Amino acid sequence: MSTAGADLIQDMAAGDRDALARFYDRYAPLIYPLIRRILHDPADVAACLQDVFWESWQRAARYDPARTTPEAWLVTRARELAVERMRSARRRRDLTSFEPRAVPPGPDGDRGLDRNVLARVFERLPDPQRETLELAYYGGLTQTEITARLKQPLGTVKTRLRLSLDRLRDMVKPA
Amino acid sequence: MNAGHEPFDTLASLHAVRALDGQDLREFEAHVAAGCARCEAAVRHTEQALARAAMAGPPETPPPSVREALLRRAAPRARGRGGWLPWAAGLATAAVAAGAVSAEYVATQYESRLGQMARETRAARERLAESEATLREEVDAYRGAVDLLRDPTTRMVELRGQAGAAGAVARVLWTEKAGGMLVATKLPPVPPGKAYALWTTEGEAPRAAGVFVPDESGRATLKVAAARASTRVVGVTLEPTEGAAGPSGPVLLAPR
Repeated sequence: MSTAGADLIQDMAAGDRDALARFYDRYAPLIYPLIRRILHDPADVAACLQDVFWESWQRAARYDPARTTPEAWLVTRARELAVERMRSARRRRDLTSFEPRAVPPGPDGDRGLDRNVLARVFERLPDPQRETLELAYYGGLTQTEITARLKQPLGTVKTRLRLSLDRLRDMVKPA
Repeated sequence: MNAGHEPFDTLASLHAVRALDGQDLREFEAHVAAGCARCEAAVRHTEQALARAAMAGPPETPPPSVREALLRRAAPRARGRGGWLPWAAGLATAAVAAGAVSAEYVATQYESRLGQMARETRAARERLAESEATLREEVDAYRGAVDLLRDPTTRMVELRGQAGAAGAVARVLWTEKAGGMLVATKLPPVPPGKAYALWTTEGEAPRAAGVFVPDESGRATLKVAAARASTRVVGVTLEPTEGAAGPSGPVLLAPR
């Protein structure tokens, strides 16, 4: 099904820079809080946000609307790029030093994340599931790293992650 | 439900947040590569659920500089140096003016030296920015090539040098949906005002797929746009730099 987002990506694939500007205006304010949640440094956040949209401009021709939504295409890659950036910084420190943290206030004040749906969904998970999913999604840790971090068996970590994602899918199921 | 598939359901969930590693990751990738539509769909549904949740929060305005930098980066690369020259000239003028109104010789010397340092710093920054932009373009080109090589629908056409470009070799890698790229080596330099032109056809008259000029080592790359229909590579000719409506110069590279 064609959507406004998919149409913009199609125009971007044809080299339409105005479409890139409209695509950015439509999605950047929605992606920005997620990147801020993962990265600490405002300069890193800005660079990552730019890279996300630069990459979508570069790869627009490869977007397949039959396979995924523009939102999932963008959010998945935004989260990956933010985590890559965080991990490369973390490699210079301890590999498992991620601590779930409060997000610094953004330009719109501190109201953003408290009301963020993803954060509220996380809050509704049982603590062990929430902690495990936060380490994976925001912390970019793999199952083995989470196992080391939480000192829990690998099977427990995998089960917690699966259950938390099953619940998340139920909670945000489209109407 | 297929009970034997249950372990892969768990792996699919974990893969959606890229938490798999080691043997689990290898097994899951092999399983999906073998054609498990259920796992592909499970990863997709989880990614879409995470996206819906992540995007449902209140929007936050990013710094305006990000948008400006992005659109600058996406602009055609014919960037001149006019951006810093007026600034440097202005700085020099300011330095000269400062010297003129100052009765102190030493102060004048310092102003002049500071102005020179500022110009040198600015020029170094410009060179660094250009190097970074060039590197980014090269990385983007490599990424594009890797994407093409991974795509099973990618086609490759090899072009051989003809009289006037004997020894030159080029390959065009592309998919009709996503486009692709031409990579050429051992190209002779082009005369002033001329460029190589790639021609493709979708069944009728050849149409221009772009012009390019090799670097000093005889290498060149050209991005090829996606096609509307089945496309065939015709060859490469020598044309005016601004391009031509149809092939008019000698054919220098032709399919094998």
